[in-house]
Amino acid sequence: MKRSKVIILGICMVLVLSLLAACSKNNNTSNEAAASSEPNSSQTSKEVKLTFFNTSAEINTVFENLFKVYNQEHPNVTIELIPTAIGGEQLQKFQSLLASGKPATIANLDAGTIHQYKDKFLDLESEKAKYEGLALPGAVDGALLDGKFIGVPYTAQGYGLLYNKRVIDEVIGSSFDPSTFATRSDLEALFKKIEAAGKAPVIIHGADWSLAAHYQGLAYSLQSNNVEENRKFVEELKQGTVDLSTNQAYNGLMDTFDLLKKYNARKADPLVADYNKDSADFAKGEAAFYFMGDWSWAVIGPLEGRDKDFGIIPVPISDNAADFGNSQVAYTEPKLFAIDNSGSTPEQQEAAKAFVEWMITSEASQKAIIGEAGLAMPYKDRKVESSNPMSSAISKYVAEGKTVNIGVINYFPSDWWSKTGASMQKYLVDKVDRAGLTKEVQDYWKSTAGK
Amino acid sequence: MTNKKLLHNTGTFLIFGGPSIFAFFAVVLIPFLFGLYLTFTNWDVRSGDHTFLGLANYVEVFQDKTFLTQLWFTLKYVLFTVIIANVAAFFLAFALTSGFKGQQLLRTGFFTPNLIGGLVLGYLWQLLFSQVLPYLGKKYGWALFETSWLTDTNKAFWALVIVSAWQLIGYLMIIYISGLMSVPVDVIEAAGIDGANGFDKIRKIILPLTAPAIVICIFISISRSFLTYDLNLALTKGGPFNSTELSSYHVVQKAFLSNEYGVGQSEAVVLFVVVAVIALTQAYFLKKLEVEA
Repeated sequence: MKRSKVIILGICMVLVLSLLAACSKNNNTSNEAAASSEPNSSQTSKEVKLTFFNTSAEINTVFENLFKVYNQEHPNVTIELIPTAIGGEQLQKFQSLLASGKPATIANLDAGTIHQYKDKFLDLESEKAKYEGLALPGAVDGALLDGKFIGVPYTAQGYGLLYNKRVIDEVIGSSFDPSTFATRSDLEALFKKIEAAGKAPVIIHGADWSLAAHYQGLAYSLQSNNVEENRKFVEELKQGTVDLSTNQAYNGLMDTFDLLKKYNARKADPLVADYNKDSADFAKGEAAFYFMGDWSWAVIGPLEGRDKDFGIIPVPISDNAADFGNSQVAYTEPKLFAIDNSGSTPEQQEAAKAFVEWMITSEASQKAIIGEAGLAMPYKDRKVESSNPMSSAISKYVAEGKTVNIGVINYFPSDWWSKTGASMQKYLVDKVDRAGLTKEVQDYWKSTAGK
Repeated sequence: MTNKKLLHNTGTFLIFGGPSIFAFFAVVLIPFLFGLYLTFTNWDVRSGDHTFLGLANYVEVFQDKTFLTQLWFTLKYVLFTVIIANVAAFFLAFALTSGFKGQQLLRTGFFTPNLIGGLVLGYLWQLLFSQVLPYLGKKYGWALFETSWLTDTNKAFWALVIVSAWQLIGYLMIIYISGLMSVPVDVIEAAGIDGANGFDKIRKIILPLTAPAIVICIFISISRSFLTYDLNLALTKGGPFNSTELSSYHVVQKAFLSNEYGVGQSEAVVLFVVVAVIALTQAYFLKKLEVEA
């Protein structure tokens, strides 16, 4: 009886192993097939299948429809969307695709993620000149990672204090002009008026990404107008050679945060952080300001009964109007298209390059990205005007060169916003004071030294 | 002759057992062993290569203070979830086997939460805790609900326990119902004639006779609540300020967000050992309580 058990087990093992072996053999043959097809890549009629990993989850369907249009124009190229969920496990999915040896041909990722996986992506240096010709001044420079062009920016975003023009106009009794407005005291005076009129001055969205990646991210970006200088500053933080507690930009920013906290419409329960509700309440005029970016248009745009006019002002950091940051809004190219170089065939890569260019330049894709999705594209030849008043307002700052480049955060560790975001949340609900917050943030940086 | 029979038996076994064995090897055992191997290396998705490190990852696990506090937090969470879910499920099952009209419908109703995925469930309850209850709380002046439960470190813990228990109850209830149905009616009737009251009947007759169901239910609820991830993600995202991160949530964050795959994987192994030890010991001791009718 015992022997029979051993035999059964043995047979099972053989069966399992042979199945696994069969799997790996299959893999090999498909690789061989791919390799042998290389010389034939001149045959343009050959079918190419691309996969597209998308982290801009709010416009999954917009992309999917675009892929169909592209397929009609280029029948030999099919593109399959690999969608992700908003706020879902996007990075984990990307990593597992990579680890399983089946990476997506094209990935729409945060610039910081592309930087971390830079060895896996195709160097687009040969394409750089072409995109420099197409893009707005500075857009390609802003997308460089360690000086290399490995991702094509397709959208530009800005953030700061969004305002609801109707609410402010009603409070001050005239048309609000954001250019009259450059210091913290100006902001405080306005907040007081708004509160006296019985309105809520500002909404702080209590989620860690908003508090850390956006608000606190400004502190590192305001050190200088130069991303490399800012990177150096963070390196010094890691080494412990600079002290945040005496840093002017950081303290100025946190002083303003205290002000926002004092006038926060969500004061009773600041950490609820319901993005849809916060955006909708702001759009309907329940608060005059909202610390957020132009992407909130995806929620606000289709909303019924919302106000019409919105704009943006920078987060003031001092009472000296001339200080860097007081008249500049934060601006970034958050998502880049990168092409895989770890598991894709040269044929797929060529098709991907052509497709990415089509996504940037074609009328169909601009209509979808600018018109439907309400995003701003950092390119000169725009065939569609944006319906998003916030991104139009940001474009004005960009045209005048009044921007804070927050590119430094692309080089931060990927758990940075989640860990320091928790500290910011504690500060928001008064669980720690300024000194405690500063210590937690500095401790985080020190813990990443050498990693 | 015996050879032929053996061959026949093996064939039969493979037809019925083969697919499950294959699945077990392919999605449980082999990944587990490979994962175990990875804990001894410095494997990283970004580079893809791995060199042997020995026990360095495990040393780091026991130096990771947040992991240890979160393991403790998880233990507390499991304890309360298991107790609440099992007690509630037992009494629900008891009530729903008493033979009143409409009990089938109620059984279905209580089972439903189990069919909803943890993510959907988490988002539903999140809306309830962060919008609906505070709204009612403000309207009627219930101090307990005036602010969201999910933004207070203590209340967020109880929110997690309540929702997890709520999800588990229906499933455990079904097992308890089948356990209770197997208790012979004549034994209970005889006890009644001998003068036992309701409480005595439960304690002296029903509980011992349903011991197998209890063992299974506690085992299931322990292992399931130790590995809660989706609910944690959808309901609290580990917040406020990482105070409600359960172990499996921490493991995923460690591996995929902080890019420390080796340490994360080692923490997963430690978690596996903890779950296995606790679940098996309880099963061993409770099994001794089983009696024959």
